[in-house]
Amino acid sequence: MTAGRDSEEAAAGESGQILELPAASRATDIALDELELVYAFIYARVGNRPDAEDLTQQVAMKAIPRLRQGAPASAIRGYLFATARSVLGGFWSVRLGLSEAELREDLMLVTPAAEPPSEEGTETVQRILGQLSDNYRRVLELRFLHGYSLKEVAAEMKSTVGAVKVMQLRALRAAAKVRLEE
Amino acid sequence: MNGKPENRLEKIVADLLRGRRLKLRGGDAEEKEAITAAARLAGTSQGPQRMHPAFRKRLAQALEQQPSEGLVTRRMALVAGLGLAAGAATGGIIGRATEAKLVARAGGEPITPTSGRWVDVAALADLQEGHGKQVVAGSVGAFVFRRGDSVTAVSSICSHLPCELWWDGHNGNLACPCHPAAFTPDGRPVDAYSLPALNTVHVRVTSEGRVEVLGTE
Repeated sequence: MTAGRDSEEAAAGESGQILELPAASRATDIALDELELVYAFIYARVGNRPDAEDLTQQVAMKAIPRLRQGAPASAIRGYLFATARSVLGGFWSVRLGLSEAELREDLMLVTPAAEPPSEEGTETVQRILGQLSDNYRRVLELRFLHGYSLKEVAAEMKSTVGAVKVMQLRALRAAAKVRLEE
Repeated sequence: MNGKPENRLEKIVADLLRGRRLKLRGGDAEEKEAITAAARLAGTSQGPQRMHPAFRKRLAQALEQQPSEGLVTRRMALVAGLGLAAGAATGGIIGRATEAKLVARAGGEPITPTSGRWVDVAALADLQEGHGKQVVAGSVGAFVFRRGDSVTAVSSICSHLPCELWWDGHNGNLACPCHPAAFTPDGRPVDAYSLPALNTVHVRVTSEGRVEVLGTE
């Protein structure tokens, strides 16, 4: 049985010259382009490259083998994002015990139709910060948008490091409660 | 959260701002909302991120080495002479070059509860031909379909993500709300994924014209 298959395979290889076709790399490139969107989606939620890479790889390994050849791009993207939501849900559930209901807003985003505009992320941050009180907004702006250290924030706000730490905690609690209308 | 929460959160924020992995402890769950907000701010403040070229390369290698569970493996395609499809399948996905020969995955086993009992779910006369009706028989959820005087039934749970299907009357199939998958009334997958068929459900029509499904107490 094995021998028969091998001879058939060899014959196919000789006659069809199909072992060195570029289709594999093309297919991989298509997959990687879709996975770029998944990576951006995940990165925007975990906020760091190592975790975003691990989770994107998990999505790829789970979803890609199940995709049927000839599937339309919209279906491929939809399936990748459904898998990404599931993987992200598992990530937060294991680390912080977050339930699906708590993650609802974070994960229930529509599948992007194309690459997100470059200003989309910063615009979201501004919209969140815009709903906070002045002090809370300032401390988060300085830390997350301008990359200030705690000491630099304290100097800028004429406060102490201890007070800024408490303010940062409260500001993040408040930011978590902000609900953005689409 | 161990120690003062503001100190612990500052450690997490500082790690995020240095691009480090989230290292969380059991007690951190008390500040879960603040931590996810910090991750989100760190993740969006620089705009949409692209994969690092080194990671993209590693991912490409992993994809090309991954055996496909899909419909056409490289070996099958070689034997069948589907050369271009084989190349695409090796990459894992999306062969556009040629139409693939479909090979259905397993599935479709009947649900036979250990202590099952027949549960009355509807009158045959109430079922509309060609229209799926969702029913519940104890712990067994199903869609029943009338074909003349007989009735068939399949599970109402998707064979991939465990989500409850809904009847899409416009397309005449059972659709999954969790991802773009759909199934015919006899449980076969109809769209882009090589999913297993839905489990079938035992169903019968009594002499009084009642439809019963084999479910649980």
